[in-house]
Amino acid sequence: MPLLTLSVNDRAWSGHVPESATLLEVLREHVALTGTKYGCGEGQCGSCTVLADGKAVRACRTAPTAVRAVTTIEGLAKGGRLHPIQQAFLDAQAFQCGFCTPGMVMGAAALLARTPQPTDEQIRQALDGHLCRCGTYPRIVRAVREAAATLAGEVRRG
Amino acid sequence: MAEDARTRYKRRFDEDAGPETYTIVEAPEDLTPDRRAFLAALGGGLLFLVTVRAGARDMPVRVQVAPDGTYRAFTGKMEMGQGSRTLLTQAFAEELGVPVSQVDLVMGDTLLCPDDGGTWASVTTPVTVPVIRKAAAAVRAERSGSREALVTPDAWTTLGQSVPSVTGPSIVTGAKLYPSDLRVPGLRHAAIVRSPHHTATLTAYDVTAAERLQGVRVLREGDLLAVVADDMTTARRAAALVTATWAPTPLAPQADWAHRFKQTAVAPVEQPRARYPPLLRRGDIDAGLSSAVRRLSSSYWAAPIAHVPLEPRAAVALWNDDGVTVHCGVQAPFLCRQEVAQALQLQPSRVRIVAHDSGGAYGGKQRGECEIEAARVARLAGTPIRIAWTREEEFTCSYTRPAGLVEVESGVDANGRLQAMRFANYNSGAAGLAPQYDIPHHWIGFFRSDAGVRQGSYRSLAAVVNNFALEAHVDEWAAALQVDPVEFRLRHISDARLREAITRTTRRFGWAAARAAATPRAAGPSASAQRGVGMSCNLEKDARLALCVEVEVRGRDVRVLRMVATGDFGAALNPDALQNQMTGAMVQGLGGALWEHVTYDATAQQTRRLSQYRVPRFRDLPSMDVQLIDRRDVEPAGAGESPITLTAPAIAAAIFAATGQRQRTLPLAPGR
Repeated sequence: MPLLTLSVNDRAWSGHVPESATLLEVLREHVALTGTKYGCGEGQCGSCTVLADGKAVRACRTAPTAVRAVTTIEGLAKGGRLHPIQQAFLDAQAFQCGFCTPGMVMGAAALLARTPQPTDEQIRQALDGHLCRCGTYPRIVRAVREAAATLAGEVRRG
Repeated sequence: MAEDARTRYKRRFDEDAGPETYTIVEAPEDLTPDRRAFLAALGGGLLFLVTVRAGARDMPVRVQVAPDGTYRAFTGKMEMGQGSRTLLTQAFAEELGVPVSQVDLVMGDTLLCPDDGGTWASVTTPVTVPVIRKAAAAVRAERSGSREALVTPDAWTTLGQSVPSVTGPSIVTGAKLYPSDLRVPGLRHAAIVRSPHHTATLTAYDVTAAERLQGVRVLREGDLLAVVADDMTTARRAAALVTATWAPTPLAPQADWAHRFKQTAVAPVEQPRARYPPLLRRGDIDAGLSSAVRRLSSSYWAAPIAHVPLEPRAAVALWNDDGVTVHCGVQAPFLCRQEVAQALQLQPSRVRIVAHDSGGAYGGKQRGECEIEAARVARLAGTPIRIAWTREEEFTCSYTRPAGLVEVESGVDANGRLQAMRFANYNSGAAGLAPQYDIPHHWIGFFRSDAGVRQGSYRSLAAVVNNFALEAHVDEWAAALQVDPVEFRLRHISDARLREAITRTTRRFGWAAARAAATPRAAGPSASAQRGVGMSCNLEKDARLALCVEVEVRGRDVRVLRMVATGDFGAALNPDALQNQMTGAMVQGLGGALWEHVTYDATAQQTRRLSQYRVPRFRDLPSMDVQLIDRRDVEPAGAGESPITLTAPAIAAAIFAATGQRQRTLPLAPGR
């Protein structure tokens, strides 16, 4: 099995992984970070969304050799404090079973990084590849909107 | 065989029950081996075993007091997104007189928890909550030496409050462990070699190529052919290298199903005490129909659909001298224990099922297929085994919501009131047969049929199909008589709470104005778009529900623009969670209403991947206004299921209003 070296949540990780392993399998089975979820294996549900070199990718369709630095849901909170997007999901109770939440939060993080003040329509478009089978979409839109407002406040305060 | 155990298990909990009395004992001294294992696993502290007499049976409740004074409470119910963990924690906390943070709820573990029924049929709120409250109040009284009494609703500090999900923080950080996230030391991974067919027997196989991969073993027991490896990637790769030939069982052509359902139908008999009575009779149906001044006959069809829980099933099985423990996400851990015991020919006491909070289920995780596989492969392999179904396995190895045919014949009197209705459901089920309308002569029945494919429970069961047929039929009558559909419904509804839910909904929606503005003759935003409004209501599982929708139709595309809904579930035990459930159920209902259907060819299920199965997404999200009527003085009703029954009929009615086309088949817009 080939040796793989990655930065995961700002920490270096290396290990032997099967040649055909996807980034999702590496994260879940080898790095042992299970916050990133398997939902469909064909990039249709968004449950496995992580940030790879700053961009949202579907880890189930990504080769681990194609990325250098990965941020997963476990790497979003800093210094024991929830990321504003995580806090906004919590405040809006924007989940039921919660299985889609890590992917949704990462997708929202990528959206707000490039579009800090999205309209509701932009939020819906950006997250359309994410599935919530419990149907909590209205609350997710609200949470992302609230998170954008919080982040804008943080930027203003410097 | 498994079906019999399942039926037997369900029957134990099949009759609705209200709590009456209780007895309380401290941990008994005379312990069976099972009990000794239970107490050893429990650790120290004071244990209360309480039995609440609920209707015809005794419901067990367990509460443990830790040395630090906090409580551990136990229930065989499980959490799949419907909010039971938080709600039952609230129920314990309220009556124990402590904050939610002082109660740690252990769920779904057959060793530690009492068998208080499967997690289904929306019974957690109306049955489990009262039992738990009564038991917790008894424990509190016992500990304080005071007289046992329930906290009255006006004094609630925990129940009736929008308590946030107790696992919310672990959900947003990714720390929450779902069944597919569980690992144990020494774990190996198994992939099952599947036949491409719906049902087949293994005739020959060759594992040479698979076993060339490092660390791979192929194990076989009957038709079960499993590849075991140190990691799932290798196990799946090796499984793909196994060549196997299968003898498939042919399936009836799907186009002939309606005919087949009628041919194989078994007529219902009255079972008034069943949870879902399969036959409801009133008045004289033949006389009522023959004396009607006008009659209408229609038939309705609903395709089989898949649950598609976002988390496919997963199980970890490990054996020791005591038997096998299976960690998983099943909805009915005690039933699963029986299924595993039967499949592996073990005493049930040698099987421990631990159902962890699951990533969605919607009725789709009631059976133990994945758990049986894990237990069997672990026994063959001699190591702990993890099996995690792929999405394709979740689609093809599980079961679907049954397809249904509903035939309705009805008649009105000279005043335009429904006086008779014959309503026959074939194959889809008896849930939700009771109409919300007063019809003096009716015959309403469910005919069991042989579908020839695996089918089973689904959120609200057949109430989706039954309410679709009933509401569509009522809407047809309103059009035929040229009466406003809301007014026509209210003519036949005596339940004051349902009437209030309807009138509140139509008022917020602006029904009259919206109906006048959006008709087939009025131009939409572009020449090719047509708009229409429709409504539906239901009195299901004690909830009073109403929905108004506005749709836009362009060719075969249907877009829902607006949903305004009201739910009266009696006392709202957690108003925010209730609002979340009601909204989510109606959103999920969009899929079955518009697009979802599972197809089969001569031997196999053709719907195998998410990219082949259209489910509701952000792009489909209408503007939504979902409100509750909170009645503190009324016994609460479960809410996880019933609101899903509103979506399809309201949309079908709105499509009719927009286009003049009456669609009687679900899904309404297949192929979009």
